[in-house]
Amino acid sequence: MIRTAAHRLLTLAVRGRRDHGGPWGEAILAEFDQTMGMWAALVWTAGGLRVAYREQRASSRTHKKVFALAACVLAAAVAVNQFALTLTYVPSLGMEPTMAVTSRYVTDRVAFRVTGVDRGDIVVLPIPGAPDQSTERRVIGLDGDRIECRDGRVFRDGAPVDEPYLRAGTKTDCDPVTVADGTIYVLGDNRTISADSREWGTFRRDSVQGRIVLLG
Amino acid sequence: MPRTPHASPQTLRLFEALLKEPATRRYGYDLSRETGLASGTLYPILMRLTEQGLLEAGWEPSDQPGRPPRHTYRLTGDGIALATTRLADAAAKDRRAREAARVRPV
Repeated sequence: MIRTAAHRLLTLAVRGRRDHGGPWGEAILAEFDQTMGMWAALVWTAGGLRVAYREQRASSRTHKKVFALAACVLAAAVAVNQFALTLTYVPSLGMEPTMAVTSRYVTDRVAFRVTGVDRGDIVVLPIPGAPDQSTERRVIGLDGDRIECRDGRVFRDGAPVDEPYLRAGTKTDCDPVTVADGTIYVLGDNRTISADSREWGTFRRDSVQGRIVLLG
Repeated sequence: MPRTPHASPQTLRLFEALLKEPATRRYGYDLSRETGLASGTLYPILMRLTEQGLLEAGWEPSDQPGRPPRHTYRLTGDGIALATTRLADAAAKDRRAREAARVRPV
């Protein structure tokens, strides 16, 4: 009678509502049959309760750790997604055929501030006259570069720029400029319709909001 | 001074029992009988030793049908080495204490 009650109590402590408790609780439960008499069974059960309690506390600590780690990873992922690597929407036809209108690209919003932008990079810039909106354009000229267009081709410091990303037969028309220090000269790949530095002038380098890192 | 791990009298009693036949897998209840340790003392020691790789725990199907499998224990190689060291240390300490008692002036 008392033995049965003790066994039931120990089972409840080890398993709760589950089919199986922790290995150590189960181990003590399996040994219960070995006890002889009421007293030994009660002593065995008393120790078993302590062990089951200990084991559950340890496992809930592990759960807490896993949960805390998951929360940190999630927070880090959100932070990266919000501030470091974001998806940028392409709102215009100006970068076709490289970037289709309405597509999205992964954009680095932090690292380029350290590494700087280079000629040929595609950067995210605020649209002049609508500064809360942005668009993507390709960097053609940096500090001191002399940009001009001859026979439909872009020349930088007198040498033709190799532009494999343009649609075949594209002709570029522009007014010659020298890019001032601390500014960048940008063009859209879709030269015939793109609004860019030909119309807007150069951009201050610190107005760059991001750099496209993945071109799918 | 940091406390030496696995040197409590209870752990030493368990080591002694496990070292008698180090290759045999032992049951928890038998160990409890042999060492005189209650389950609430014995199992936390077993858990600690297993966590640290000093003890190897396994499940063995019960010899009686319809009974749950039983948990078994035996010392690992590291466990045997540590248990032997700890028991030797304890014996040496014991001897020193007895000698000190003997030379004490009457």
